Amino acid sequence: MLNKCYIQATSAISPQHTFEGEFHTQPFVASTRNLLNVIEPNYSGFISPNNLRRMSRLLKIGQTAALKCLVGSEFPVPGAIITGTGKGSLHDTEKFLKNIREYEETALNPTPFIQSTYNAVNGLIALQQKCTSYNNTFVHRGFSFESALQDTLMQLQEGVESVLVGSFEEMSEEHFYIKGRIGHWKEGATNETFLADNQTTGSIAGEGSAYFLVTAKPASRNLAVIEGVEMVYKPTTEQLGNRLQKFLAQHGNPTIDVLLTGENGDANFAHYYQYLHQQFSPSTTIIPFKQLCGEYDTASSFATWLATEILVHQSLPLSLQAYNTASLQNVQHVLIYNNFMGEQHSFILLSK
Amino acid sequence: MGERVFITGVGMITAIGDNVAQNLRSLQAQQPGIGYTQYIDTIYQSILPVAEVKHATATLAAMAALPNGGEGFTRTTLLGLIAMREALANANIEDASEVGFVNASTVGGMCDTENVYFDIVDPSKTGSFLQYVDTLDCADCTQRIADVVQFQSHISTISTACSSSANALMYGARMIKHGMLEKVVCGGTEALTRFTINGFNSLKNIDKQHCKPFDHQRNGLNLGEAAAYLVLESESSVKRNNSTVLAELSGYCNTNEAFHPTSPSPDGDGAYEAMQKALAMSGRQLNEVQYVNVHGTATLNNDVSEGKALERLFGSKVPKFSSTKPFTGHTLAAAGAVEAIFSVLAIQHSLIYPNLNFSERMEELNISPETQLLENYTVDNVISNSFGFGGNNASLVISSAQL
Repeated sequence: MLNKCYIQATSAISPQHTFEGEFHTQPFVASTRNLLNVIEPNYSGFISPNNLRRMSRLLKIGQTAALKCLVGSEFPVPGAIITGTGKGSLHDTEKFLKNIREYEETALNPTPFIQSTYNAVNGLIALQQKCTSYNNTFVHRGFSFESALQDTLMQLQEGVESVLVGSFEEMSEEHFYIKGRIGHWKEGATNETFLADNQTTGSIAGEGSAYFLVTAKPASRNLAVIEGVEMVYKPTTEQLGNRLQKFLAQHGNPTIDVLLTGENGDANFAHYYQYLHQQFSPSTTIIPFKQLCGEYDTASSFATWLATEILVHQSLPLSLQAYNTASLQNVQHVLIYNNFMGEQHSFILLSK
Repeated sequence: MGERVFITGVGMITAIGDNVAQNLRSLQAQQPGIGYTQYIDTIYQSILPVAEVKHATATLAAMAALPNGGEGFTRTTLLGLIAMREALANANIEDASEVGFVNASTVGGMCDTENVYFDIVDPSKTGSFLQYVDTLDCADCTQRIADVVQFQSHISTISTACSSSANALMYGARMIKHGMLEKVVCGGTEALTRFTINGFNSLKNIDKQHCKPFDHQRNGLNLGEAAAYLVLESESSVKRNNSTVLAELSGYCNTNEAFHPTSPSPDGDGAYEAMQKALAMSGRQLNEVQYVNVHGTATLNNDVSEGKALERLFGSKVPKFSSTKPFTGHTLAAAGAVEAIFSVLAIQHSLIYPNLNFSERMEELNISPETQLLENYTVDNVISNSFGFGGNNASLVISSAQL
């Protein structure tokens, strides 16, 4: 079993007010449709104007969130940079595909091709911070961030002092349309309605980027502790339950104060969440999180960011006040359960 | 820390052979796999040479022994399945449920998606092409391979451009050392695409001739397609199961150059550090390395950078080195695993492969690659390099099997 790690800094660009100011007291940002786009920050404080002109949207989002996490921290040059992304820069992939067709394969600008490379953001972060050590990118749908987290725990156990671990994901209008063709989205839903209707299929699309600067040993801030991560591939509900019990047992069977779930309103996957709910006593406060960020490959990184916020503040943020929290106090353990399209299931355990 | 990691199975398909034995024969016969594409719809069909696997996708589906005829399977997945079946058989693995799988890919199922993409985005079009909607991302090939051969333990996919499968091998080895797995299959699969041909061509990185690594007149790479997987196994599992050991993965290192998004530093800082640290981990000395299978893409920048790094690391005693990319082309995400298997074969058969197409030493370097096939040349330790965009440098040390 891998050792835990200590979170020293976090950052998140999301459809909520997570990047600037105090998220805890910010109101819920409601969507008008079944696609949640991130609130893009002012990039100019993080990226030079020359670079900004060249960079595509996801590269800006991914690099800015990473820099926000590193700059001003105790470890501006981390011992490793490890990320997860399911889709990489969709805009660049789409643009290069179109350029090939439009210009009939001649006189193409290589920039979208370069930026479509899944590890492009990692390279930029390393370049900016002159970080020459270990650098890796995982690209496996709902295991992308989880794998990055597992690699992080391994690096720390191997003697690396600090790791920047995170994720970045975007949803383009074109890709939103494509995934709509195979039934990924719930017609007419918003982030205020999609969870209430789990009799129909489809969810709401989302995107975002979240990073964590973590250390093997306690350091100056210790916002929260990541106790462990567990991935389960295409399980039955029973197998899922067994793996949950095993995972919790490995961590001393802690009382779970808050369970953050990746419920996404899709009737195809509701039974996993219903089953999970039954595994916990009424003393566990169960809260879904995708109304805040939407559904995407690395949504569990947003949940990890949210769990850190809850552990730091020892209460729910204003945007989650709709959930009954009267009894919520002394939050010691937050568990995240997510699944992506019913295939990649994961647990992430955090503690105070 | 942790257990030693052994290689107990290999499987591959490249432009020079459908399996490991055929690849070895082509290397020994000095027969390259570079020619013109028969399967990619591109204006560069007869202009830019590529190293293509010489089978249509339907034939690959038959070779992959799929019960459903391969419907919905991309060429990327089929190449991967063929190599995977060989690797598992070679390691005598019949039940893969407890075996991990770390795959690598740079563009997923782009090879098939790019042909139907504009139908997929066109609301007026419907049809069977919609089954390819979800094949573009890199996890598609990993999961389809996993589901066919019934991997039920760890699965993941890495994408760090041209070093992807070297990083997959490293990650798998580390999981074994951490005691998380006893066996894990690592490698990558990459099919040729119009997307990557145009990508590298737009960077002016593709030679119109057969590539000439480490030659003064080199003018870029040739792209290739391949899949290659290595079964890694912990020392205790090897002993308990009496597994046949092919070689040891004795060292590895991943560094980042933090120099430029697509170019290596002129002095090869990242390559130097990756090789140096990988060798240190292996516990081998410089003079114990008999062969370096270089990244050697034949791009202007790579070969200067990598050559400088070799001179810095080994001084005046640079071991035999060669690039095998004139045989297989640059197979991107698969390259690290393809060349790791070539390193295993070099050790097993006491071979040094010739660096084809070399005639003139680079003026920046004092070293030249080996141009002859050397047989009966004892090889105990090989360094295999894979360097990618984003400054990602990976070096592996593969050593003769001594339990």
